[in-house]
Amino acid sequence: MITLKNIEKVYQTKTIETVALHNVNLHIPKGEFVSVMGPSGCGKSTLLNIMGLLDEPTNGIVEIDGTPISRYRDKELAHIRNQKIGFVFQSYHLINDLSVLDNVELPLLYRSGTSASESRHMALTALEKVGLSARTKHYPTQLSGGQRQRVAIARALIGQPEIILADEPTGNLDSVMGEEIMNVLLTLNRQDGTTIVMVTHDENMAQKTERLIRFFDGQQVSDAKTTAYDYQQV
Amino acid sequence: MIRHLFKLIWNRKKSNFLLISEIFFCFLVLFAVLSLVVYNVRNYSKPLGFDYDNVWLLTARADIDSTELRIAVEEQLTQKIRSYGEVEGTALVSSNSPFAFSQMKVWAKVGDGPRILAENLDVEDTFAEVMQLNVSAGRWFTKQDDAARYNPVVINRVLQQELFGDESAIGKLITRDDSSQVQVIGVVDHYRGSSEYAEESPVIFTRINQQREAVFWGEILIRVKPGTGIAFEERMVKDLSGIAKNWTLELTTVEKMRQNKEKLSMVPMIAMAVVCGFLIFNVALGLFGVLWYNISRRNGEIGLRRALGASANQVYRQFIGEVLVLATFGLVLGVAFAIQFPMLQVFEVESMVYFIALGIAVGLIYLLAIGCAFYPSRQAAAIHPAMALHEE
Ligand SMILES: Nc1ncnc2c1ncn2[C@@H]1O[C@H](COP(=O)(O)OP(=O)(O)OP(=O)(O)O)[C@@H](O)[C@H]1O
Ligand SMILES: [Mg+2]
Repeated sequence: MITLKNIEKVYQTKTIETVALHNVNLHIPKGEFVSVMGPSGCGKSTLLNIMGLLDEPTNGIVEIDGTPISRYRDKELAHIRNQKIGFVFQSYHLINDLSVLDNVELPLLYRSGTSASESRHMALTALEKVGLSARTKHYPTQLSGGQRQRVAIARALIGQPEIILADEPTGNLDSVMGEEIMNVLLTLNRQDGTTIVMVTHDENMAQKTERLIRFFDGQQVSDAKTTAYDYQQV
Repeated sequence: MIRHLFKLIWNRKKSNFLLISEIFFCFLVLFAVLSLVVYNVRNYSKPLGFDYDNVWLLTARADIDSTELRIAVEEQLTQKIRSYGEVEGTALVSSNSPFAFSQMKVWAKVGDGPRILAENLDVEDTFAEVMQLNVSAGRWFTKQDDAARYNPVVINRVLQQELFGDESAIGKLITRDDSSQVQVIGVVDHYRGSSEYAEESPVIFTRINQQREAVFWGEILIRVKPGTGIAFEERMVKDLSGIAKNWTLELTTVEKMRQNKEKLSMVPMIAMAVVCGFLIFNVALGLFGVLWYNISRRNGEIGLRRALGASANQVYRQFIGEVLVLATFGLVLGVAFAIQFPMLQVFEVESMVYFIALGIAVGLIYLLAIGCAFYPSRQAAAIHPAMALHEE
């Protein structure tokens, strides 16, 4: 599904040069639930941004579905993001002036040919999946952190993307709510076969996923199947 | 997308209130100024009904009391003027000659109909030729009117419409100032003698008949041959001063009088335009500043939209679109207010003037909004999505 070859990312500012990623080679097959761990500043978010086509690597090749994306222009990249990728962020990134329903519908705004009633229907289905059917008319500020993150997940999955990239989705939540979110993601992975890459600082969460990649200082240091992943359920 | 933008602006109406009201006021001022400009321009483009090129006006102020003597001197002046080869014709006229700062209003009435206020010009038979009026119905004054039972008058079409509607006015009697009766013998298409920027109003030309009632008029219109210049003017004034000794003689061109009248209309227009321009400049600065600030505050949202599949171009269009929607909110309020002017006929101005001004004002406000949004929106589109998401 996603292949990274010799990825290098260097941030160049006036005074300093930061190597955020160095020689990263990764292949994430379709349907896998991968977690990424590592100390702060080791390049996890950078990795996710590159996978999500939000940022370009300084060197190296990104392939989505076997196609290298380096030749694509902004418009085409946006199209791939819209069609294939769903994002979940630590700070939710909901638009406070829009209702829950409108927030969830946002990705369909950038997808031509979806009628208003279709969008509405898809948003309700997505909210049902995350267990928030009763909160459609609310505004983000009226929701708890866990609820907000569920709205964000509903938004990520409304377009039925093949990949979900989640950057510390439980980072702002307590363990109970974190658990809730984790279950939503696990269900998504198992029932719909969505490929998920999740950055986390929580060892327990990471152990629930299928594969755990550890980073240190911009480089992969380990990559292994987890023991706790419940293969029975797959 | 448009629905989305309306929803977004509507939900943010509190924070957008200031912008919307700025646009609202800016629109109203523009509408007011444009109404005046459109009114003037529309009047300007209509026919005057006469030709003032090569027409001069001699104003004579006598130093003698006897009316008889004055008239005698005036007669001599006229004779002298007519004797020059450069002069094509002269006509005595009352002091409210074309573009003069003088008015003479009378009430005109037909039978028991309504009283209409009209400008009364006393003119000699030669006036139509000197000013090149176009008589479209009936005829102009001639010698044969000397013996007429009623004083003959020629009116303009505006007055005809007001008094007689679509019926012919020729031969009909008009009661003037509730006392004397005059008879219409002709109708001219147009006569807008007060100003090029004024609407055409009712006019009555009354025939000067020195046989019936001898009056000293003191104003003589002179049509000269094209190309007649200052040298002749000086020569003529010198000759005339020899005839009317100690009189004050003033010779000016009707063109100069037109220019003076023009100034009177232009000064308020220019003053208003300057004030309006200043206001618009301020609103534009404010709009630009607020948009700029909004965009830097909405970095996270921009990053998010990019992540969800918006291209840079779509972000650009969204921000332009938002400003247009904002402007639309302000304009809906403004138009609802402005439309009262033609609806209630606050001033006696054609509704069309307001509608044109309204249309131009709406267009200008949209242009202003796009102009102010252009650069901030481009900045918004240029924001790097990963950076924008990182900052939150
Ligand atoms: N826009 C940027 N400009 C310059 N340096 C950057 C930029 N973004 C990230 N970096 C640097 O790149 C490195 C990796 O950053 P990144 O955000 O990927 O870390 P992270 O692993 O996600 O950390 P955290 O766990 O704190 O979120 C850091 O040293 C960071 O300072
Ligand atoms: Mg990070």
